[in-house]
Amino acid sequence: MSRNDSDGAASHLVVSQISKRFGTTAVLDRIDLSIGRGELVTLLGPSGCGKTTLLRIVAGLATPDGGSVAIAGRDVTRTPPHRRNVGVVFQNYALFPHLTVGGNVAFGLRVRGRPRADIAKAVQRALSLVHLDHLTERPISALSGGQQQRVALARALAVEPDVLLFDEALSALDRKLREEMQGELRRILREIGATAIFVTHDQDEALTMSDRIAVMNGGRIEHLAAPHAIYARPATLFTLGFVGLSTRIRGTVVGSDAGVVTVDTSVGRLQAMGQFVPGSAIVMAARPENLRPASDSTDGNCVSGRVRSVVFQGSRSLVEVDAGEATLLAELTGAAAMGAVPGSDIRLSWPVAETFAYPAPGPSA
Amino acid sequence: MSNRIAIAFAWTAALGAAIFLLAPLLVIAAASFSPTPVFDLPIDGASTRWYGRIGRMDGFWPALGLSLQIAALSTAISLVLGTLAAITITQKRLPGSELMATALTSPLMMPGLVLGIALLQYFRALGLGNAWTALLLAHLVVTLPYIARTMIAGLARFDFTLVEAARTLGCTYPGAILKAMVPALAPSFLTAGLFAFLASFDNYPVSIFLTDVRAKTLPIKMLQYIEEAPDPTLAALSTLILLATVILLILSDRLVGLHRMAGTAE
Amino acid sequence: MSAITVGPITSAAPASPNRERWIAAGFAAPAMLILLALFVVPLGFLLAGSVLTGGGVSLAEYAKLLGTSYYLGVIWNSLRLALLTTLIAFAIGYPAAFALARATGAVRSLLLATLFLPLAASVIVKAFAWTILLRSDGLVNTVLITLGIIREPIRMIFTETALIIGSVNIFLPFMILPIYSVVAQLDRRMTDAAATLGASPVVAFLRVTLPLTIPGIVAGVALVFSLSVSAYVVPTLLIGERYPTLASTIAKAYLLARQPAFGAAAGVVLLVIAIAVITLSTRLARFGGGR
Repeated sequence: MSRNDSDGAASHLVVSQISKRFGTTAVLDRIDLSIGRGELVTLLGPSGCGKTTLLRIVAGLATPDGGSVAIAGRDVTRTPPHRRNVGVVFQNYALFPHLTVGGNVAFGLRVRGRPRADIAKAVQRALSLVHLDHLTERPISALSGGQQQRVALARALAVEPDVLLFDEALSALDRKLREEMQGELRRILREIGATAIFVTHDQDEALTMSDRIAVMNGGRIEHLAAPHAIYARPATLFTLGFVGLSTRIRGTVVGSDAGVVTVDTSVGRLQAMGQFVPGSAIVMAARPENLRPASDSTDGNCVSGRVRSVVFQGSRSLVEVDAGEATLLAELTGAAAMGAVPGSDIRLSWPVAETFAYPAPGPSA
Repeated sequence: MSNRIAIAFAWTAALGAAIFLLAPLLVIAAASFSPTPVFDLPIDGASTRWYGRIGRMDGFWPALGLSLQIAALSTAISLVLGTLAAITITQKRLPGSELMATALTSPLMMPGLVLGIALLQYFRALGLGNAWTALLLAHLVVTLPYIARTMIAGLARFDFTLVEAARTLGCTYPGAILKAMVPALAPSFLTAGLFAFLASFDNYPVSIFLTDVRAKTLPIKMLQYIEEAPDPTLAALSTLILLATVILLILSDRLVGLHRMAGTAE
Repeated sequence: MSAITVGPITSAAPASPNRERWIAAGFAAPAMLILLALFVVPLGFLLAGSVLTGGGVSLAEYAKLLGTSYYLGVIWNSLRLALLTTLIAFAIGYPAAFALARATGAVRSLLLATLFLPLAASVIVKAFAWTILLRSDGLVNTVLITLGIIREPIRMIFTETALIIGSVNIFLPFMILPIYSVVAQLDRRMTDAAATLGASPVVAFLRVTLPLTIPGIVAGVALVFSLSVSAYVVPTLLIGERYPTLASTIAKAYLLARQPAFGAAAGVVLLVIAIAVITLSTRLARFGGGR
């Protein structure tokens, strides 16, 4: 299902060694990214990580300082945007206020000089794909935010682009509508087999929508993998922190055996997956759903503490536990969640196999 | 309670202002149908004979022609140059954008008379003797600030992503400007053009110093008529100018809406 | 003030800064050149012309202007006209702008039309209309007599009253529009919020609404003052020789008396007044907006 290996001949969009600086700051630092035909890759990262600049470079709206971009086997690094055959859905949609819904969708085809009859057909097709074929004659100002979003998508789809680019395309919608559109967008892109890059800072959106996620930070791709891999095995401390919640405990490696390290921490001796020489300063981490109230027979990592807060989230509760210098984060359900009351003592355990270790950043980081 | 008084006060002021502002226009229209040469209001019997006399006023047609030429040409040139400058100013790609904006709109607040005499001395020093050219150049300074002010305001609200969207959809850069920016800015263009044209067409204090015996603009001619021999022919002419203005305003309202223009005017 | 919603795509810097800068400079150059060649340099010539007489530099023209009681009176006439016009226009325009901002639909369109039409109409036409309205047998006198307010027609044309009426009439829209554009953007919830915080309507107006409309007031006052201080057509038609102003002095110096140096000096004085008004208003607007 997921295409982790897309460096082969199937690569439809190839970004290689792209660099870009604004003044003295490097915004993109030798980025490599290959996307297969029909694949949806999300660029996920905080603002200023370079994801939007990378998207603009692929669209041709910005020129890289170095490196190349190839779409469908054609080097387009020096090609202006109007000859790239890309479709862009902008954050604020950028719909032409002086044109109707149909006029907006037809825009790209008119500019390309397609025959009238073809344009009318393509417009109808694109609009029915987004379920707006009944609004063709409406002025843009008469549409809701969600409808404008769909028109923007239809406009980008109508030209049958080689690559679809979404720049924070859903961020202007409210939560419920956004979740609805995520599902719908996924369906449409599957239906037409579109190759797409999706820029977002919203991790839930990235996890829901993508075939693969590229987590970006400081102009580099920190981790490029399928959503479940990003979540379950974050490659770097940054990815761990940016995607999902986690418990993090600092410590020093005291022993290493067969991919498992033993670590001295302020809350006792624990174990984690990883290869480190004894004496290394590391950060070990675990996802909250792996933490459970410990019974006597539990093996794996075990830590005691006092419940600081409980956040009820419906089917589950997020429990924060003070344990010396560390804070544990556990996601509990059912009876276990009921038992956690602020101020009460609790003992939590989690499997060593679900404990990751990363080299500790400097004390300032 | 004090709220109601305030609201009533505001409405009284607004209605009073409306009547006060319209009064001279209505009076001119009424006086143009005066049955006698002394501006009797046509209470008993109206006459349209003054309208027939407009064309026979001494030097009327050349003055009208000159004013229309100067107003149209200076507005057209200023529209192009003012819009280009406004793009640079609103895109803030150069340092000193604020300063450029202030400089471009500053002639609006300058006494027209002072601009007139300054240009008079300047053109004399340069040896520019042609009144037509002098008027056109002077009216560029009259029209440019109106255009710059309105276009800067309009462009500040314009979303330049539209241009990028058009480019990704297949437009060249100039094509994108033409197809995405120009139509979206139509209200601003219309407001800017309309008011610049009227400012030039109506200008007296700058033109008066730059005309010669042969080239006199309509406002100068009209003031001359009023001072020499005021009769209802002038009222008729004024009414026709008003009528043309009303038609222009109605057309603009149909095209973009007056409240949008009020928003772009300041 | 004019907040734009621009997505991150546009917020990134342009592709090749140098080329973009040259294009930007090329776009701005023609307009800036016109401004320089036909506005800044001519004003420099004017300044030079006011002090260069015969062979050397002399302030004689300024001495004549600022040292004779007659010409001081002329300057005062111009200032007085501007002050009275601005004051009255503000008194009418400020509340009117509020009504205009609260109006909706057809009423708003109608009110806006009554604002735009006079603004678009020729100054000469309007001034001419007032000469007809204010004649002793004109409409104003007729109405006042019919209403029994006066018995005899009063002389209005060629009085200061006529001048001020005409001047306010012509410049009033320039007061209303800037104030309107600020008032229209006022968030009505502000006064509601003030009320919930315990402010009476009067206090809410004085402490919330009034400070928020200061930018509009400053713009309107500056515009009306600088326009009316240099008005030429209105005084010429409505009061004439009896009320000499700086503007009429300048025109006379050039068109009749052939005293360009003196006219230039008067022009510079008028210019200084205009610049002072603008500078002061910018400061005030910044002060008002910065709180």
